Amino acid sequence: MSSSSSRSRRLGVGNGVLPPARDRSPSLNKDFDLAFKVMLLGDSGVGKTCFLIQFKDGVFLSGTFIATVGIDFRNKVVTVDGVKVKMQIWDTAGQERFRSVTHAYYRDAQALLLLYDITNRMSFDSIRAWLSEIKEYAQEDVVIMLLGNKADVSSERVIRTEDGESLAREYRVPFMETSAKTGMNVELAFRAIAKELKQRAVEQLEEPKFQIHDYIESQKKKPSCCAFL
Amino acid sequence: MAADVHKKKSWEVSNGLLAPADGQHVAERSESPTPGLAQGTEPGAGQEGAMFVHTRSYEDLTSSEDGGAASQSPEEGQGDQDDQIKMEQISKDFSELSTQLTGVVLDFEEEMRQSKDDKLDLSPQTSRHDSVLSGKEEEDVTMDAWRMHQKHVFVLSEAGKPVYSRYGSEEALSSTMGVMMALVSFLEAEKNAIRSIHADGYKVVFVRRSPLVLVAVARTRQSEQDIAHELLYIYYQILSLLTWTQLNHIFQQKQNYDLRRLLAGSERITDNLLDLMARDPSFLMGAARCLPMAAGVRDAVSTSLQQARAKSLVFSILLSRNQLVSLVRKKDQFLHPIDLHLLFNLISSSSSFREGEAWTPICLPKFNSCGFFHAHISYLEQDTDLCLLLVSTDREDFFTVSDCKRRFQERLKKRGVYHALREALLTPFYSVSQVGISDLRHFIYKSKSSGLFTSPEIEAPYVSEEEKERLLGLYQYLHSRAHNSSRPLKNIYFTGQNENLLAWVTSAFELYVCFSPLTTKAAAVGAVNKLMKWIRREEDHLFILMPQTY
Repeated sequence: MSSSSSRSRRLGVGNGVLPPARDRSPSLNKDFDLAFKVMLLGDSGVGKTCFLIQFKDGVFLSGTFIATVGIDFRNKVVTVDGVKVKMQIWDTAGQERFRSVTHAYYRDAQALLLLYDITNRMSFDSIRAWLSEIKEYAQEDVVIMLLGNKADVSSERVIRTEDGESLAREYRVPFMETSAKTGMNVELAFRAIAKELKQRAVEQLEEPKFQIHDYIESQKKKPSCCAFL
Repeated sequence: MAADVHKKKSWEVSNGLLAPADGQHVAERSESPTPGLAQGTEPGAGQEGAMFVHTRSYEDLTSSEDGGAASQSPEEGQGDQDDQIKMEQISKDFSELSTQLTGVVLDFEEEMRQSKDDKLDLSPQTSRHDSVLSGKEEEDVTMDAWRMHQKHVFVLSEAGKPVYSRYGSEEALSSTMGVMMALVSFLEAEKNAIRSIHADGYKVVFVRRSPLVLVAVARTRQSEQDIAHELLYIYYQILSLLTWTQLNHIFQQKQNYDLRRLLAGSERITDNLLDLMARDPSFLMGAARCLPMAAGVRDAVSTSLQQARAKSLVFSILLSRNQLVSLVRKKDQFLHPIDLHLLFNLISSSSSFREGEAWTPICLPKFNSCGFFHAHISYLEQDTDLCLLLVSTDREDFFTVSDCKRRFQERLKKRGVYHALREALLTPFYSVSQVGISDLRHFIYKSKSSGLFTSPEIEAPYVSEEEKERLLGLYQYLHSRAHNSSRPLKNIYFTGQNENLLAWVTSAFELYVCFSPLTTKAAAVGAVNKLMKWIRREEDHLFILMPQTY
């Protein structure tokens, strides 16, 4: 909590387009204008926690794999078009035994980042099952994004970019390949979600409609250029 | 009966100045100024009731479900004629434990071979056991290193499927585990149960908890009972992840289910538990250690914790590196020390709790092995070791519980104890020199009624990890002798080459003391009395005397 608030002060000015969102912690109210819940999903070991840490702290957690226990709740405030958006991020454990606890929090989420590992076919094959779980438990208008992580490990790639793209097309969700290690497209994934959610929240103010698909297509990096960040 | 043994034998304790074994004598001792020998009045006893499930003794922790499975090794219970041998054995065991560790491995094995022959406890399974080990040897080129491990732990299903191995991959060990299961089944077919195999310096200990079988192969000097106790901890650890209900349901549905699928990612937690048990006397004592701090600060922390309650909360626990700072519980609900140890282990086994707020289902098997609680785990600040654990009954209550944390922190600040609390973290241990007894090197004191223990920092000459573990090994040995289910001892005094040791177990407390080898028995007894007075004087600093409820 404390780290996110100090971080948010560093992050830009924020002109307060909207009145501060209601939050349970009043002390933080000055630090953001909007709050959204985002959830990271996917099989165990696809790099969800590393993905989040790269976004939150700009570092890559190397070394041994540490399985997340249950779900882990963290905050980060980003500024999107001058609006401070607090992203409340649920990092979930991929293991089967934690499914029941993650299910209980699906419906709170406004956005879901669904990850697979491009070097692990099983994690890709599970995506359909994940999507049907999402359909069952999440809100209908939830923003979903499919991410093929570990794109830096091209030597061990078993899932082609096209496979990811066509699956994403089938379910009509935006897709990109990412690398928690190099940071490729990590910031973009969260930023795109923040933009989309902010857009939805301010729609009544009749700003031009934000198209998450178009935004991602125009911004995303291909695996070849790993020098993002 | 234990007292008789003492008096008859020439072993040190019997004719020493220490009180004889029966409680009556202890209480009558005129030279003992020790306050509060009755349970509930000993130093460290809580003044407003205990926080834990009332466990009178170490045996309580295991016996009820143990069915005495672990209690009798072949060398025991062979009748009175063995008493002499036993006493000599104790003496010998101590000498072995006291020997310097350097170059001990070979001597040790030799010694063990010798003692095996002495004891004539070759079980009929020895030859089978040998074949098990040689079978392992052929499996892998690294097997030599693999075999050198002090303690292996294996968990398998009744279908013989590997569930967990402390070292090496489970797949590579599947045939070994198959043999283990065959051994278990072979004896069960005869309506019998295998408890242990003692051979070649190894103890192979079996614990059967349907649908699982737990096996330890140990070269440590721990008693079979203690090893079985550790295996039970591993069993409870697995229950804490799955619940007993789910575990049984799975295997009823599918006997050859591969449980590793459900336990994926938990290996580290189990590994950590095994490492912790080798280092931390909490598990041996079946008790929790408190972070030493001024009583006023602790009370203010407890009150803050008590006020930051929510309807679904059952336990609020503040801890720092496996030391308890405060524990507030729902009225009429008691935590069991084993459950607390599992929670401590969970927290210490993962660095992922350092940031953010974790929310995880956890079963506290001694509280209720059929259902999950939901634990909110977070550190108060990233740069401190203060970890707050809020145990809730409601899976969906994350935000309410998270708010409790915020309220707790606010209250801490309002009461102005935050700073004092951080100060206390700087001195998590005290030095034994503070007691002011010259030959005293180290001690462990446990108050039975509060379920809490205190112990100073381990200092010179126990500096290296090996020496530290050796000291804990000595305590383990004292403990296992004191709590031997067939012949418990209340007082033990041993004069060794490297240290003199004393154990004193009453209905109210347990005390294990390590002196320099130069001390005399008379001086040691005097020192123990002085030590007990010191603990009484410091008790509000070392223990939680005013546990709170909500």
